[in-house]
Amino acid sequence: PLSVSPAADPAVISPQDPTLLIGSSLVATCTVSPDFPLKAEDLYWTLNGRRLPAASYAALGPSTLSVALARLNGSRQQSGDNLVCHSRDGGILAGSCLYVGLPPEKPVNITCWSKNMKDLTCKWAPGTEGETFLHTNYTLKYKRRWYGQDNTCQEYHTAGTYSCHIPKDLALFTPYEIWVEASNRLGVAVSDVVMLDILDVVTTDPPSDVHVSRVGDLEDQLSVRWSSPPALKDFLFQAKYQIQYRVEDSSEWKVVDDVGNQTSCRLAGLRPGTVYFVQVRCNPFSIYGSKKAGIWSDWSNPTAASTPRSERVVGGCDPKGGEQNTTLRRELKQFFGWVKKHAYGCSNLGIKLYDQWRVWLQKSHKTRNQV
Amino acid sequence: GDSWGIFTFLCAALCNLPALPALNCSEELGAGQSIQQTYDLTRYLEHQLRTLAGTYLNYLGPPFNEPDFNPPRLARAERVPSATVDLDLWRGLTDNARLAANYRAYSRLLCYLRVLDRQVGTAELRHRLAHFCASLQGLVLSIGGVMSSLGYPLPAGPAAPPAPPGAPAASNDFLKKMDDFWLLKELQTWLWRSAKDFNRLKKKVPPAVVTLRLEARGF
Repeated sequence: PLSVSPAADPAVISPQDPTLLIGSSLVATCTVSPDFPLKAEDLYWTLNGRRLPAASYAALGPSTLSVALARLNGSRQQSGDNLVCHSRDGGILAGSCLYVGLPPEKPVNITCWSKNMKDLTCKWAPGTEGETFLHTNYTLKYKRRWYGQDNTCQEYHTAGTYSCHIPKDLALFTPYEIWVEASNRLGVAVSDVVMLDILDVVTTDPPSDVHVSRVGDLEDQLSVRWSSPPALKDFLFQAKYQIQYRVEDSSEWKVVDDVGNQTSCRLAGLRPGTVYFVQVRCNPFSIYGSKKAGIWSDWSNPTAASTPRSERVVGGCDPKGGEQNTTLRRELKQFFGWVKKHAYGCSNLGIKLYDQWRVWLQKSHKTRNQV
Repeated sequence: GDSWGIFTFLCAALCNLPALPALNCSEELGAGQSIQQTYDLTRYLEHQLRTLAGTYLNYLGPPFNEPDFNPPRLARAERVPSATVDLDLWRGLTDNARLAANYRAYSRLLCYLRVLDRQVGTAELRHRLAHFCASLQGLVLSIGGVMSSLGYPLPAGPAAPPAPPGAPAASNDFLKKMDDFWLLKELQTWLWRSAKDFNRLKKKVPPAVVTLRLEARGF
């Protein structure tokens, strides 16, 4: 193969880097530069590394060889199919990238949400066909209804591949028109226009300071308290909350739906001596009297708590062990109280941590015995 | 049984109290240490490049991702600095010249890679390229650090390499693919060569002087 070439290209292919619809046919020609001592019969073609049959060649001149390609499939890679003209010994003389595909489909399912009325994030899905074999560019555009100017979203991929984030300069109490344009080498497709008011798609942060604690000695209840999300505290709105909880070794969440506007709730009917994981989320509906439902926030980080263990013996429990447990526990509680007062950096130590450790111990005993 | 467990728990919890004397260590890195770090960085980049090149060449498609692919190096591809050099010439390089060659090469290669980053199609590739460029930037800075610690001036030069006259940027998409191929090849060759360059430098520069100062804070 040739390793060093003079300044001029050894050969020229036509068409150079064409764009074609799937199923179309193409005749390409390779013309060797006059500086090169090669003739049409010294050449051959490959497409994506595979040699094309000589039957599809035709010599159009002393140093020009053509190839006929029929019913082209979609490009093997988005960077284009590699059609290459070679000299007899395999050396590359010239190449052309073929872009074979379909025009884009209309993007669909545009959904948007605003975090605390400060910004707007939208996501969409490509049209049903999906695979166009060509690189497709998506542009999200928006404008205030009745005000002429189109704006283009700049920050893409913030919430997945097909998403865009508008960080500022959004007006409230005015409808926005939002749409997505998909374009590739073969054309453009525009989605349907979505109309919305920022206030109708508000979401917020999950509630902060979620605390789960026991209700005295009640073995089947836990009390959940939280704070309303601070970011929206200045705005008049009613919030709805939802709580979900599960036992430690289960993946089934139980949902408490009718929590309303309160910031506390008592869970009842729980199992004694069990560790529960609890999460809370918030929906800031009816901001400034908007009639639409808001958008639920993410769930808060799970908070763990355990219900008190039953004091009475339940078939098979060692009564002596139970007694020792209560005295030990009381002592431990006192110890932790003292530690908190006399050593800094220990605020995580407490009877709760001990409870969680006990559950862990139970679990690891169980798995050890199972072996 | 239970009591042993509780004892372990308490020990673990207590160990987090600020009761232990704190150790304050400070080391002074000699040039020897920086050379070692630079060497390690070239090996890491070599490893990263293998994955990046594999993905990128698959994106370019066959024949670019075929193992024995060897396209012509056209005049325009000469813009990318070549790592291959005569063996005696390489042996005879002064430390300064050796370091400067590396510094200049990677600065130029980084520029070309960044251009690639802007034009590439898939999100996965862009992400990998961005990561690689960040690491390569780290290598350039590391080499600069070694040169400074040895008292050598950093090679001057324009931030973006000027195109040599008579060799325009790739005029069609296929030629651009070939340029990309050779860029990755040269990067690979340079990383192999740099490992040898820094190995050689390691032997010539005295080992680092490391001092540890311990301060114990009473409880």
